[in-house]
Amino acid sequence: MLQSTPFVIETHHLCKSYGDVQSLRDVNLTVPRHSIFGFLGPNGAGKTTLMKTLLNLIRPTAGTGTIFGYDIVTESVRIRERVGYLPQQPRFIDQMTARENLHFAARFFFSGPEAKLRARCDEMLELVGLEDKANRPIKGFSGGEKQRLGIALAQVNYPDLLILDEPASALDPLGRQAVLDVMARLRKYTTIFYSTHILDDVQRASDTVAILNRGQLMACGPIEQIMKGGEGVVYSMAIKGNLPVLDTRLKEIPWVTHTSVTQQNGTSVWQVSVSDEGAAEKDLLRTVLADPGVTVAEFSRKKYELEEVFMNIVKGAGNVC
Amino acid sequence: MSANSDFQQVNELKGLRGFSNLFHKENKAWWGTHRWWINTLLWTVLLCGLMAIMLFAPNEEANQASASEILQAGGATAYILSLALSVFFEFGGPMLAIGTVIQAQDLIIGEKQNGLIEWLLSKPLTRRAYILAKVAANAPALLVLFVGLPATVAYGLLSLRTGAPYPLLSFMFAVAILTAHTFFYLTLTLMLGTLFNNRGPILGIALGSVLGGGLMGGFIKPLFSVTPWILPKVAWMITTGQAVPAEIVFAPLVATLLWSLVFIFVALVKFEKMEF
Repeated sequence: MLQSTPFVIETHHLCKSYGDVQSLRDVNLTVPRHSIFGFLGPNGAGKTTLMKTLLNLIRPTAGTGTIFGYDIVTESVRIRERVGYLPQQPRFIDQMTARENLHFAARFFFSGPEAKLRARCDEMLELVGLEDKANRPIKGFSGGEKQRLGIALAQVNYPDLLILDEPASALDPLGRQAVLDVMARLRKYTTIFYSTHILDDVQRASDTVAILNRGQLMACGPIEQIMKGGEGVVYSMAIKGNLPVLDTRLKEIPWVTHTSVTQQNGTSVWQVSVSDEGAAEKDLLRTVLADPGVTVAEFSRKKYELEEVFMNIVKGAGNVC
Repeated sequence: MSANSDFQQVNELKGLRGFSNLFHKENKAWWGTHRWWINTLLWTVLLCGLMAIMLFAPNEEANQASASEILQAGGATAYILSLALSVFFEFGGPMLAIGTVIQAQDLIIGEKQNGLIEWLLSKPLTRRAYILAKVAANAPALLVLFVGLPATVAYGLLSLRTGAPYPLLSFMFAVAILTAHTFFYLTLTLMLGTLFNNRGPILGIALGSVLGGGLMGGFIKPLFSVTPWILPKVAWMITTGQAVPAEIVFAPLVATLLWSLVFIFVALVKFEKMEF
């Protein structure tokens, strides 16, 4: 069966439990084709469990899932023919060199010709910058080199989907950057579904994000949408002057949904939530300045950092899904 | 840069997807490393070395044996041959079984513990192919290196000592029995690797069978008919030309082969249900 939806991965009410412990609760996830999909969550959220369930390394206790339209339980081999996977801690066959490991991995997909197989292995080594270490024993590799080799092994069959479990978490900033660079290079060829708890990496590399907490999908969608937070559009103003009158005036505006005020160094910082983005952009500042007793020191639309959104969601303040 | 369509796709039975690649890797772990000649040397020197001492060194045992013992064996040379064959089969059988358990204990559990299975099963590899590739690659290697080569050298030594070819059929039958005995311990260890997550129970159960089986059978005689525990002794009796009742030979031999098949089946079923 060929995929007929724009989604590479789809899960429906996917659950996994171990006795009384529920690792995945009713997960409904869609991963668009050719996205770099960042899968976020604190440690123990169930990210690895979900990835392993997608690959049939773990069996779901309820719910269903498809990849490329194939069922994740009954048609797993067909799925794995088109998927590359990097486990959280990449494993290799220690007796083999990097090139031999790649050749071994490629042989699960292709039986020949030998010259093309060798060329594919060389290409993968070049992709991850390990050409000069191709024939060295793996035990001498650094953490970053192992991680990059892991990505090369996952990519050796030109998969339509790369599933990477924490590809950069254990690396120093340089190693992390190298891995993110490799992911960016692969983007045009494949869909990348990767888990991480490094929010900065997600903000830099991903176009679509999901947040998982305690096995439950709390948020999913394009990163711009997630970054808006769960509170809608909010304007922030630093104001000096006649506050009670301003408060009354703002509350009379129909598209102002909520206001809050905090004091900072003698200035009142207002957070104004609005339901009509266009109207607010046009009239909010004008309305405030209409009062001659008010001085506006700062006016801007509030920008969320992913970390703020993540913390709000994980601590139960919001659900954007 | 070649597209995937430029490659020949792997063509295997659906249920055995990934078998040939894994089989090749397992074979390479034996024949592409030092492992094959180290084991050849070890088992040939251990078993045939002891045998050679019995056969060719001035023999204290023969001198100390009573006339009736020598007469019962059919002469001094026959007595020495009987002792040498006892070393090869009765002592060698359990030793080979212990060696097999030690060599095979990590085949599954090692890959389970270091996470390699997880990675392998993320490739187009069926779980059935994984188990069968382990059996198909390791059984011939173990049987050739542990049993076949030492047996060939042993046959040569026996013929050299007697000055004529030693009776081949009975010797080959005895080697076949030893092969079944060794195969039993390979499949038992592989199955235990799917049932447990650490080496303790694997070694405990498998080595317990090797070392304690004879004792158990001594207490409960019928156990000898349904286990491989008496097979090394049976092999020795056959190759020394003793009259052995058919039921003592065939019941444990058939049971051992059936057990081996059952162990492979259990390993397949259990591995199919495992999560990684």
